[in-house]
Amino acid sequence: MKENLKKLNEFEWELDKTVRKEMRVKAKIIANDKIMNAIENEAITQLTNVACLPGIIEPAIGLPDMHWGYGLPMGAVGAFDAEEGIISAGLCGFDINCGINLIRTNLTLKEVLEKQKELVSALFNKIPCGVGSKGKLRLTKEELNEVLLNGVNWAYDKGYATKKDIKSTEENGCMKGADPSKVSDLAKKRGCPQLGTLGAGNHFLEIQKVTDVFDNNMGKKWGVIDKDQVLIMLHCGSRGLGHQVASDYLKIQEKAVKKYNIWLPDNQLVCAPVNSKEGQDFFAAMKAAVNYSFTNRAVITKWIREVFEKVFKKDWEKLEMENVYSIAHNIVKLEEHTVNGKKKKLYVHRKGATRAFPDMPVIIAGSMGTSSYLLKGTDVAMQKTFGSSAHGAGRAMSRHAAIKSFRGEEISKNLLSKGIVSKATSWKSLAEEGPLAYKDIEEVINSVHGAGISLKVARMEPVGVIKG
Amino acid sequence: MKFKFIENLTSDVMFEAYGKDLKELFENSAIALFNVICKISKVKTIKFVEVEIEGENIEDLLINWLQELIALVDIKEMFFSKFEILEISEKKLKAKVYGEKISPEKGETVVKAVTYHNFKLEKNKKGYTTRVVFDI
Repeated sequence: MKENLKKLNEFEWELDKTVRKEMRVKAKIIANDKIMNAIENEAITQLTNVACLPGIIEPAIGLPDMHWGYGLPMGAVGAFDAEEGIISAGLCGFDINCGINLIRTNLTLKEVLEKQKELVSALFNKIPCGVGSKGKLRLTKEELNEVLLNGVNWAYDKGYATKKDIKSTEENGCMKGADPSKVSDLAKKRGCPQLGTLGAGNHFLEIQKVTDVFDNNMGKKWGVIDKDQVLIMLHCGSRGLGHQVASDYLKIQEKAVKKYNIWLPDNQLVCAPVNSKEGQDFFAAMKAAVNYSFTNRAVITKWIREVFEKVFKKDWEKLEMENVYSIAHNIVKLEEHTVNGKKKKLYVHRKGATRAFPDMPVIIAGSMGTSSYLLKGTDVAMQKTFGSSAHGAGRAMSRHAAIKSFRGEEISKNLLSKGIVSKATSWKSLAEEGPLAYKDIEEVINSVHGAGISLKVARMEPVGVIKG
Repeated sequence: MKFKFIENLTSDVMFEAYGKDLKELFENSAIALFNVICKISKVKTIKFVEVEIEGENIEDLLINWLQELIALVDIKEMFFSKFEILEISEKKLKAKVYGEKISPEKGETVVKAVTYHNFKLEKNKKGYTTRVVFDI
């Protein structure tokens, strides 16, 4: 499929809908040459699959971190007409609202380096991470339902979050219309003991230093001001609850595909008409999982603040540990976009993609041990990518291959030689997330910045890494 | 051979499991799953959980079986290392699964879900083979 790509300019590629007879719209990929070389042919074929679905609005979007996923590649966006389109559990992905909180501090690198090991150990001990750790909060079903319904507002009521935390979270920390009754008992049982846990896989907590500030105005607005200022990046999702919601609705929508006679180019792309019960039930359950995940990150943020208070013997308010922003990566949202000059409501499916609305924060995480970026969304993103940008570096090597190629102990040593202290519950989990298993984050950033879909505000590098 | 991992996906883990009959196939698939989740050889068989799974056909039953085991890790907060299929038909199984409480030192990674990608379950001369991809 790759040979059919037409290069529009240095950062944009197009696949005409004539390359496949079933395609309803063309596909577009944001990537520079280096990134395009690293994108798998299969991922591009998957993008054309999405372009075949009913009600898709042109174009199907591939972002520079795009890599093979289930149905839709990770690092992709599919927007669907709110009347004639589909809504798809398959296009949202298993980890609903996997996302990032970026937390600022007024600490300098020097101050943090003096306590580097103590800080990493204290965070590792405080925040349950990995598949073998138990959560500290054990919610009752009633409490869980409140979390699903109210998101970060629940955390505010219970003293885990502040008003500012609510405001600095996408959707103000609560997607309206979440319906806990659409979430299965099994999903709830998985969710009760896991609120306030990091999980494993690619989820992490990093202490980072700012290496560059590119946009002083925006940086100032978000409290990211100085080189060597210390920030904290938290990457995790909706845990077993979200995974179960996704698995449950994949089954429900698999049946819906037959019921509504929808032709699919790939069975992973199960979906349902937007206004069908199977479509709207998924949307209401997904919103509940989204709220759970926002709350999960809010609770962990509170514990991060507590650790810093203890280590630096100062209140977190004095350390100015405000949440810069909390964003979602895997999500479906009903948004208004301009299509052919007319405002239109669309179900925007972002899978491994970040919202990039004008002047709103975009946070792109690099692979473990490499840089991460804070950017701002743009009007160009509204015009070209349904207000979306990349979410990370994007894998270039399978987890299995990474485990075979790298040893966790060596990765930890290499990180240490670069001044990065790391802690993980398992060497294997360090190995599977080895920096070389990912695309080059700098090229991903060059691509989104060059295409203008989000612009660089600050660059960060890790000094401490905690992995599940 | 009970199972083997196959390497060709950028995100995830694919394995093939084998069995002379369905009982063995299902047991070996579960062993492959817990080789990903935890250090299975170190997981003691102190406690057990009884499970009953239903499916629309044998393929669906296998996916539901593995999916249930993934959910059980969260709900019971246990790792499992021994799987005893007591009864199995095309649409239903009963099993006892043995293990112990989760602990950080025995954990490896979270398996998010069983996917349908490239899924197969075949009967052949030697018995049965299945191929399953996990999202991790």
